[in-house]
Amino acid sequence: MKFSIVIHGAPWSSSASHSALRYAEALLECGHEIVRLFFYQDGASSGSSLCVPPQDEINIPEQWQVLINKHGIDAVVCAASALKRGILDAAEADRYEKNAHNLLPGFAVSGLGQLIDAAGQSDRVVSFVQ
Amino acid sequence: MSQSQSPCSYLIIARSSPYGSQQARAALDIALTAAAFEQAVSIVFMDAGVLQLLKNQQADAAGMKNIGKVITALELYEVNSIMVHQEAVDKYDLDPSQFVQSVDVVTSEEIKILIAGADQVMVL
Repeated sequence: MKFSIVIHGAPWSSSASHSALRYAEALLECGHEIVRLFFYQDGASSGSSLCVPPQDEINIPEQWQVLINKHGIDAVVCAASALKRGILDAAEADRYEKNAHNLLPGFAVSGLGQLIDAAGQSDRVVSFVQ
Repeated sequence: MSQSQSPCSYLIIARSSPYGSQQARAALDIALTAAAFEQAVSIVFMDAGVLQLLKNQQADAAGMKNIGKVITALELYEVNSIMVHQEAVDKYDLDPSQFVQSVDVVTSEEIKILIAGADQVMVL
C-alpha cells in the first residue's frame, strides 16, 4: 500500500516524531511505499540539524535523515511551521536575511499543498499528533 | 500538484479547543488548503472543538487569530459540509444559535458513516 505520514508533534516533548519514525521503518520493512513524510507544526523541529541530545538518547532528527536518505523518501517540512520555529534551509535563510540555516539534508521546505498532493496519491494518510 | 489525480474526499475532525494549542488552526488550514485544491471537504467539530464555533471570541487576549472568523471563511472556499457533534453541543450546554454560522448537528452514528465514506480522515 501507499502511505503518507504526517508528523505534528515535536521530537522531544511528544512521542509523535519517534513513533512516526518507528512506524515508517516498519512500513518499509513490510514492503509498503511511503509517498511523502509531512512535518507539520511542532513536527518541523524534526528537520533541525542542530539538535544535540545526550549521548544515551536517540537523535530523532538524525534518525529521520538516515531513513530518508537510505530510502530516498520525499520529506517535506511545512514552510510556515518551520520558519516560525527557526528551521530554515539556505534559500529561506537568504530570503529572510538570517545568518544561518539548519535544515537537514534530505528534507525540503514546502507548503500544505504538498500534504493534499500526498493524500491524493496515498491509500492511507497516518497522522502522529501527540 | 499533479493534475492527473481525481479529487479525494476529506473528513476533517476538529476536536481541539480554539486557543489551547495550534491544533484548531491547523485543522482549519488543512480544510482550507484541501478545498483550495478542489477536493471535497467536510468538517465536523467534536469534543472541545465545538468551542471553535462560538461567536464573539476574544482571540487577541490569547495573542492568536480569531478561529471563528476562519470558520466563516470555510464556505467561501466551498467547504459546504460543516457539522457539529450533538454530544459535544450537549456536553458544553450550547445552542447552535451561539455559533458563528449555521452548522448541521450530527449524531455519533452519522459520524461513523462519514468516516467510513471518506477517502481521507484527519483528526486534529
